[in-house]
Amino acid sequence: MQDLCTMVHLCYCLFLVLSPLIELKDSQIIFCTDVVSAMLIRATGQNLRLAYLRSLESLDLVKQIEVSGDIAALIYLCNPFTIVACVGLSTSPIENMAVILCLYGACSRLIPLAAFGWVIATHLSLYPAILIIPVIFLLGCGPDSPPRKLFLQRHQQKEVLNQSKLPPRFSWGPVIHFAFWAFLWSVYVLVLCGISLKQFGGLWEMFKSTYGFILTVEDLSPNIGVLWYFFAEVFEFFRNFFLIVFHVNILFMILPLAIRLRHRPCYLAFVYVAICSMLKSYPSVGDSALYLGLLGWFVNELADMQFSLFLFCGYVGVSLLSPVMHNLWIWRGTGNANFYFATAMVYACLQIVLVVEGVSAMLNHDRKLRNLITGKPQDAKS
Amino acid sequence: MAETKEKSLSDEKPKPRVRPIVRLGIFLISHSFHVSVVCCTAGVLALFLLPVLAKNTYISENALMPGSASPMLSNQHVSDGNRLVKDLTNPNSKSSETGIESHKIIAQYMLDLGAEVSFHKFHPQMNQFHPLHFFSSPDSGKIQENYSCSSYGINTVGIIRAPHGDGKEAIVLVTPYNALKSGFGEALSLGIAYSVFSLLTQVTWLAKDIIWLVADSQYGEYAAVAAWLREYQTPKFSSLSTPNAEMCPDVNNLFELKGHSISGSKFSNSFRRAGTMASALVLKVRDQNEQFEDTISIYAEASNGQMPNLDLINVVNYLAVHRQGLRVNVEKLWSLLNSSWLKSLGEIFESLAKVAKSLYPKWKFGIPATEYVEGTATLASSLYYQALGVPTGPHGAFRDYQVDAITLEISPKFSLDKVWRNDILLRGGRLIEGVIRSVNNLLEKFHQSFFLYLLTSPSKFVSVGVYMIAFALLIAPLPMVAASLYVDANSSSNCSKGDSSTPSAITDTDEHSIAIRSWRWLNSAKLVFIVHLWGAIVSLLPYFISQIPDCSPTTSFMIWVLLSILSLLTLNSVLASPLACAKATQEKEWALVKSVTISSVFIGLGLMSVINFATAEIGALLMVPMCLLAQPLKLDVRAGTLRSFCRMICNLVLGHIAFPPAAFFLLKGMLDGFGNANVGDFWMWVESLWAWNSATYLFIGMVQLPCWVLCISILFHTC
Repeated sequence: MQDLCTMVHLCYCLFLVLSPLIELKDSQIIFCTDVVSAMLIRATGQNLRLAYLRSLESLDLVKQIEVSGDIAALIYLCNPFTIVACVGLSTSPIENMAVILCLYGACSRLIPLAAFGWVIATHLSLYPAILIIPVIFLLGCGPDSPPRKLFLQRHQQKEVLNQSKLPPRFSWGPVIHFAFWAFLWSVYVLVLCGISLKQFGGLWEMFKSTYGFILTVEDLSPNIGVLWYFFAEVFEFFRNFFLIVFHVNILFMILPLAIRLRHRPCYLAFVYVAICSMLKSYPSVGDSALYLGLLGWFVNELADMQFSLFLFCGYVGVSLLSPVMHNLWIWRGTGNANFYFATAMVYACLQIVLVVEGVSAMLNHDRKLRNLITGKPQDAKS
Repeated sequence: MAETKEKSLSDEKPKPRVRPIVRLGIFLISHSFHVSVVCCTAGVLALFLLPVLAKNTYISENALMPGSASPMLSNQHVSDGNRLVKDLTNPNSKSSETGIESHKIIAQYMLDLGAEVSFHKFHPQMNQFHPLHFFSSPDSGKIQENYSCSSYGINTVGIIRAPHGDGKEAIVLVTPYNALKSGFGEALSLGIAYSVFSLLTQVTWLAKDIIWLVADSQYGEYAAVAAWLREYQTPKFSSLSTPNAEMCPDVNNLFELKGHSISGSKFSNSFRRAGTMASALVLKVRDQNEQFEDTISIYAEASNGQMPNLDLINVVNYLAVHRQGLRVNVEKLWSLLNSSWLKSLGEIFESLAKVAKSLYPKWKFGIPATEYVEGTATLASSLYYQALGVPTGPHGAFRDYQVDAITLEISPKFSLDKVWRNDILLRGGRLIEGVIRSVNNLLEKFHQSFFLYLLTSPSKFVSVGVYMIAFALLIAPLPMVAASLYVDANSSSNCSKGDSSTPSAITDTDEHSIAIRSWRWLNSAKLVFIVHLWGAIVSLLPYFISQIPDCSPTTSFMIWVLLSILSLLTLNSVLASPLACAKATQEKEWALVKSVTISSVFIGLGLMSVINFATAEIGALLMVPMCLLAQPLKLDVRAGTLRSFCRMICNLVLGHIAFPPAAFFLLKGMLDGFGNANVGDFWMWVESLWAWNSATYLFIGMVQLPCWVLCISILFHTC
C-alpha cells in the first residue's frame, strides 16, 4: 500500500540523514515526529493568530480570540487517526511532519526551512508538490488576512489612506529566494539519492518505482480510498485514460481555489491537503490526521460551519464501520468487497462535504467582515 | 442514503431557492414526530411480516447436484457399523477409567479400513475474558501453566486420502463421543459414521480427503472440536519445559500399547493433517425420544450469529426429506406456538392475503395461520440464538475458521429391535453419504448462496435484503429526530439572542453567538463521550471481578454494580458534570444532549447490525422508543396535558424495561416463569457471553447501557 512506497523512500532518506542501521519499527522516530509536528503546528498557529489579530486591528474590528494554535496541536495529537497511524507504525507521520515543516517555515519566513520541507514532502509522497502555490502566497504577501479589498474600502471610508496599515503588496523577493533554496535542496537530495542508489539502478529506477508507483496505481490492495476498487474494475484499455482523469482532477481544482482563497494561503494549503488526501492513489488515515489538525487553525473563522455535528458523527461512524466491514469481507468471508467499498465511498463523501462546507464557511466569514465594515445588516449574507 | 438525508436535514436556514432534496429534508424534519411514529410502526410490522415474506430455499450452487447419484451404502456397511456399535456398548470396553479402551477400539476399526489414524490429546481451555475476540482470528491459544495429567481429552482422528484428489481439500465428519459415560445414541452415531467411513474407503469418486474426528466430549463437545481445530489450523510449538499431555504416563501407556498391538504403519503419533476444509458435519444421535417419526434437527448458529452457507442446509434438507424420508426440524421457541395473539395475527394476515388475491389473482403472498405461527416461532428462535452469539453446537468452532459446518441431530423413534437399528444406520448413513458426495463435487468454497439469513422453517428463509428493511425502518427516525432537535436547539437560541440584543451591541453579540452556535453540541458530545467511556470501563470490570477466587455469582454481580456506580460518580466529578455547568448558558441543553445521544445510538446500532444483526434488531426494539420519547419529566409535569402525561408514563416504563438486567429478568421470567429468578443469573449469563466471545456483551456494555444512562439523565434533567 501507501506505506510500502513511502518505506522505499524512507530507506533513501534514512540512508542520507541518519544511519542506515536505524530501523523504523523499533525506534521512537514516529512518536517523536508526531510530537514535533504538534509543536510546529502550535507555533504556526500562534503566528497566524498574531498576524490575524494585527490585520483585524487595522480594520478596527476588535474580536476576542481565545483559542489559538494550541487547539490545533491538541486536535492533531488527540485525534484517533493520528494515534492509529502512530501505533500502526505508518510512515505518514513523517510525511505530515515534512508538510508542516514547510508551512511553518513559510509562516515564520524561514525560507530555507520552508524550501527544505517542501522538497522533502514532495520527495516522500509527491502530492505536496502543489503546496508550492500557498507557500508562494505566504512568502509573497504574508499569512492569512481578510481580503485586501476590505482594507482599501475601510480606508476610503475614513478618507485617510494610511499606507502603513495596508497589508503589503505581493513581493517577489522571498519567492525567488525560495525558488533558489528549493532548487538547491532538490539537487542536494537527488545527488545523495543518486550516490546511494548507484548499485540499484540509479535515479531513473527510483523515479519509476516511487513516483511511478504512485501515479500508475499498481497496488490494488484495499485501502480507505476509492481508487483501488475503481482500477480493479476498469477495463485494461481504459486504464491509462482514467489514470489521467483522476490525476488531472487534482490539478483542475488548484487554480480556482488559488484565485478565490489567495488572501488566505494557509487555508488554501489546508484545502489542498484535504483534496490530496481524498484523491491520492493510496490514502491512509494519517493524511486525514494532518488536515483535521490543520483545521484547528481556523476554528474562529469556521465557527459558523454547517453540518459540523453531521460531519463529526460521520467520521466517527465511518472509522468504526470500516474495520468491521473489512473484517466481514477478509476474515469472516461473509461479506464482499462492496461492503468495504461502501464505507470508503461514504468516507470520500464526508471529505467532500467537509471541504465544500469549509470553503463556503470561510467565504461567508469574509462576506461577514465586509458587511461589518460597510455597515450592511447581518441578514444580507449570501 | 441516510447520510445524504441527514445532511439535508441539518441544513438549518431555508433559503429562497431550495433544492428539492433540501426541501424534502426540511419537510421530514418539521414532521419528524409523525414520520418517526409511522416508521417505527412500519418497522415492527415488517418484523412480524417476515414469516410471510420468507422465500423457499433453492440450491444455488450447480456443482452440488444433491441426490443425482444413487446411494452406494449397502447392508454390508451397515453391518460393519453395527459391529462397532456392539463392541462399544459391550461392558468390557468400559473397564478402563479414562475410557482408553473404547478409543483403541475405534482406532483399530479405522486402521482395519486402511485409514490413517492418530490421536490428538488436548487440555480443556478455561473460560477467558476476551470480549474483542470475535473481531480477530483465533490464535493458537495460550499455553497454560498448570496442566495436570488428570484432565485431558483424547480425540481419535482417522483420515482417508482421496484416490484421485491432490490432498488439498478435505471434508470433516465429527462425532462427539464420551468414552466414560456414553449412551446408546453416541455409539449409534459412531456406527453411522463408521458405516459411511467404510464405504468411502472403497469408492472411486472421492476427490477430497475425508477426516473423521471422534471428539472426546467429556469436557464438552465444543471444547474438544475447538482444541483439535486450533491444533489443525494454527500449530503451536511449545518450549520443552512446559508440561504437556505427552508427558503424562497414562497417555504414553496408550501409545505403547498401540505400538504392540497394531502392526500397521498407518498409525502415527504425530498430528495428521489433510487439506483445507471444505465443510464439516457434526453427527449426533439423541438418546431418548418422544417423537412419532424419525426426525433430524439442524443446528446452524455459530458464534456471533454467523451462519453457514445456506446451500449446506439446503442440501441436507433436500436429501433428508426427498431421499431418506426423514422429517427435518430447526429450533423453535415452543412457548410461542400456543400464543393466541400470534394465531390471531396470522389469521389477520391470511384474510388480508385472501382479500388481496380476490382483488388481483396474481398476488399470492398469504400463508396459513398455523404455518405463520410456526414460522414466527422458528424465526424468533433463530433471532434469539443469533443474538445470543453463543454457538448452538460443536459446529460453531468451524465457523471461526471460515469453514461451513452444521450439526445434525438424529432423533429416531425409539425401539430396540435390530431391524430398526439397521434402518436408522442405513438412512442416516445414506444421508451423510449424499451430503459428502455433494460437497465432494464442489470446485470452490461455498459462496453461491447466502451467509446472512434467518430461517423460518427448514425450507424457508428470509434473506438479508428483506430483514434489513424492517431494521432500517425501525432506526430511520433516529437521524431525523436528531437533526430536528439539533436545528430546534440552535434556532431557539438564535431567536432569544436576537431579541435581547440592542442594535448598538449587535456586532459583539453576534461574534460571540457565532463562536458558540455551530459548535455548541461539543459540550453534549463531551457528556456522551464520558458516558460511553464509562460503558467501556463497566465492560472491562468483570475481567477483574472474575479474578476474585470463590465468589458466588450474586456477590460478583453486587460488586460489579457497586464498582460501576462508583466509577460513574468518579468520572462525573473528575470531568466536571457538563450538564450542570452548561445549563447556566443554555436552556435547551437537554435537546442537544438528546440529539447527540440519538446520533451515537444510531451509529452503534448501525455498527451492530453489521456484526450481528439479531442483536441490533432486538436492541433497536428496546432502545429506539426510549431514545425517541426521552424528555425531561419536569417539562411534562409542567405541561400537564394528556399527551405529556402519556409520554411520562411511557418514559418511566421504558426507563425500567430498557435497563439491561431488567430486560434480562423480564425475558427470563417470560420464558421460564418468575419463580426461580435469582440476581446471580444475570452474572452467569454475562459470563457465558464473554466466555463465548459474543459481541452482544460489548453491545450491552458500550451501546445499550450508556444509552440508558443518558436517557435517564435526560429524564431527570433540571431545566
